[in-house]
Amino acid sequence: MSEAPSVAARPGSRNLVEVVLRLREAGVVVFLVVLGLAFGLATDRFLSVQNLTTVASSAAILAIAACAQAIVLITRNLDVSVGSMMGLVAYLTADWAATHPGITPVEVVAIPLMIGTVLGAINGLLVAYGRVPALIATLGTMSLYRGFTYIYAHGQEVTSSRLPPWMLSSVDARIGGLPILILVSIAIVAVVAWLLHAYPFGRRLYAVGSNGVAAWFFGLRAERVVFFAYVACGFLCGIAGLLYAARVGTVTVVLANGWEMSSLASAVIGGVSVSGGSGTVVGAALGAVVLATIDNGLVLLRVPEFWRMFIQGAAIVAAVAVDALIAEAIRRSTGGRRR
Amino acid sequence: MPTVAAEPVIPAPILLLRRIGKSFGPVRALEDVSFDVRPGRVHGLVGENGAGKSTLVKIITGLEEADEGEVILAGRAVRFRTPIEARNHGIAAVYQDPKLFPHLSIAENIAMGAYPSGWFGTVDRRAMIDTAREHLARVGSDLDPKRTVAGLSVAEHQFVEIARALSSDVRVLILDEPTSALTPTEAERLFAVVRSLRDRGTAIILITHRLEEIEAMCDDVTVLRDRRHVATLPRAEVDRAKLVQLMVGRPLEALFARRERPTIGEDVLRVEHLSLDGVFDDVSFSVRAGEIVGMGGLVGAGRSEIAQTLFGITPPTAGRVVLKGVEVAPQSPKQMLARGLAYLPEDRDRDGLIMPETITHNITLPILDSLSHWTVVDRAGERRLAESASQTYRVLTPSVETIVSALSGGNRQKVAFAKWLATEPVALILDEPTHGIDIGSKAQVHAMVAQLADRGLAVLLISSDLPELLAMSDRILVIAEGALVAEFARDEATQESVMMAAARQRGGKR
Repeated sequence: MSEAPSVAARPGSRNLVEVVLRLREAGVVVFLVVLGLAFGLATDRFLSVQNLTTVASSAAILAIAACAQAIVLITRNLDVSVGSMMGLVAYLTADWAATHPGITPVEVVAIPLMIGTVLGAINGLLVAYGRVPALIATLGTMSLYRGFTYIYAHGQEVTSSRLPPWMLSSVDARIGGLPILILVSIAIVAVVAWLLHAYPFGRRLYAVGSNGVAAWFFGLRAERVVFFAYVACGFLCGIAGLLYAARVGTVTVVLANGWEMSSLASAVIGGVSVSGGSGTVVGAALGAVVLATIDNGLVLLRVPEFWRMFIQGAAIVAAVAVDALIAEAIRRSTGGRRR
Repeated sequence: MPTVAAEPVIPAPILLLRRIGKSFGPVRALEDVSFDVRPGRVHGLVGENGAGKSTLVKIITGLEEADEGEVILAGRAVRFRTPIEARNHGIAAVYQDPKLFPHLSIAENIAMGAYPSGWFGTVDRRAMIDTAREHLARVGSDLDPKRTVAGLSVAEHQFVEIARALSSDVRVLILDEPTSALTPTEAERLFAVVRSLRDRGTAIILITHRLEEIEAMCDDVTVLRDRRHVATLPRAEVDRAKLVQLMVGRPLEALFARRERPTIGEDVLRVEHLSLDGVFDDVSFSVRAGEIVGMGGLVGAGRSEIAQTLFGITPPTAGRVVLKGVEVAPQSPKQMLARGLAYLPEDRDRDGLIMPETITHNITLPILDSLSHWTVVDRAGERRLAESASQTYRVLTPSVETIVSALSGGNRQKVAFAKWLATEPVALILDEPTHGIDIGSKAQVHAMVAQLADRGLAVLLISSDLPELLAMSDRILVIAEGALVAEFARDEATQESVMMAAARQRGGKR
């Protein structure tokens, strides 16, 4: 037989895979700029400072939810209860604030974070230790958390007039001309990104999602890693739920309905792979900005509301298709085929 | 022992295995294995497929726990619960297929589990990259530690894995068939690294199928057979023939009763110059009615791939297949079944049966169309057929409505037989039909195969179990490295000759 096909004979594919993995975020930025220019040319209202601030504000909370989703996606799992967790956290916090007039800012922050963490831990227990497939487990808790919100609320909403005024005004305050909401969001994404980058836990998160069999052979405790990924996801949803409540003022039982989809869309558009092991929270946050930009641009162009869901869906499908192609390239390049 | 001092200096063992035993449920996976591994020496671990080598490695590295016996490392009994613990004690393993994280960088892979920590417990990246570069240099590799693992060649993977093992101050390095996916040049480079590690006092356990590697590399050899320890000897005391004999050394027991002289008819399955690019090349043979043709070879030689190509799972890139005188181009299993060819895959639990379904549903699956009236399945007929098939193939079960996953390995195999034979094939390919089933069921499967051949079926039997192959086959083909390298008539074949042909060195054919 001729010499076995030399293993070094694929320099092209090797470089391509590496380049693609490294440049995914840059690709999102380029796409964002192109998108912004296109909308700017199509309507002169898009590129105004005021409008861009609006876009950034609406992206701010979604970016945090996308981060939460990304952490779970990296481990090759999924959390479709993101919207329900935000809704439950927001309602319980608002209700507590409304019924306890003397509530301090520390409590207002601590309560949602604790609730979010507990909700995330329940998801984590089911998926990591209960070995329930992530989609099924979180589909269940999605209904469970939302249903609990309905029961608890008796169909009542918490109106903004019942909340402490400082709670509402704090998110609208500006520092150096920028709304606090945007700054908080950037800070949170930056901190999460740094934690994942700098700490060993971040490496384990990617390792478990990258190759589960190798993780087992290596002796990594995948269950623990996945569990904490869900806990982190719940914690971030706590933050997102609180900010959402403060931003809209009036908290209804359907708050953040459908955010599981937008958070997933943001993460995937931002280059987080649904097959695990790849992507960053910064990418996910950028994905949120892309989604907010598309939404805003379509409103300005007076595209009917019905189209927006369709276009969001198309963006997800396109992003997932690209992701699948990349994942296949990686599989092939890592000795996927052996003699 | 008065002459101890006069012997050449053999270092005291670093790793002692004492009476290691392990069961998986009712199946004995390992029984009474004891040997010593010494620093600065390469210890070969050999045995046929399924002899228990992998289980032993898993026990040493903490992936599985032994049920009996002791592992003693540097004088202390140890019992590792995870590979990380084993690595912290200086035991690491490198497997034949890469076990790295493709999305992470080489440095991150090498440092995994023991990141150099800097400020506030964060990963010290510079130190991580420097250490990685250092360890890569020790294995003679100048790969950039910052590169992602995705895109590395198999050989490069292997070197990164060894570098990772070295990063934990390894005292015992286990290499599980490290060269199976490497070219000869790459393998030579790998062995150069192994020798330099050995010279620096690392104990090496080398698992391999290639006898020439044992001769070239090993100082000691341990042979496992049928999950038991057969012998541990200095390499100098065994030659190839002796090694092969130790590995296969079972007598042809009464269990493997040879078939009476069969009546053999016309060619049923004829294969001419069959090739699948990069997998196997120019394979030609034929199987006649009433004949059992054995196909031997090492794992990974390409036997299952040939069978899967014949069955239409991966269509060939060249060559012809003639079934009962009619040429067919294998395109899909459905088409090949319709032409009268059936295939029992090796991993019947994964590929051959639908585990959470009943025996009935499994048996009738390939022939549902013929059991249906106006597309509605005739349930009574289905059940009747399943019951008679279960009787014919002696499936031990309370009822044909039993879920397949509740059956023993042997009974599952019988269900798989019943399933494919319900299609009434003229030729049957069996891929390791007795792999992982107990001795009693084995004999029944053999009897069944013989019976089928006597009824005029053409049988191609792929087996790594040499005594089985020798006892069952009317002719034996040997596949090595994707090519047909030898053919033996029933009376010429011996365990040794088949094993020798199968273990022939790469490039040594022709």
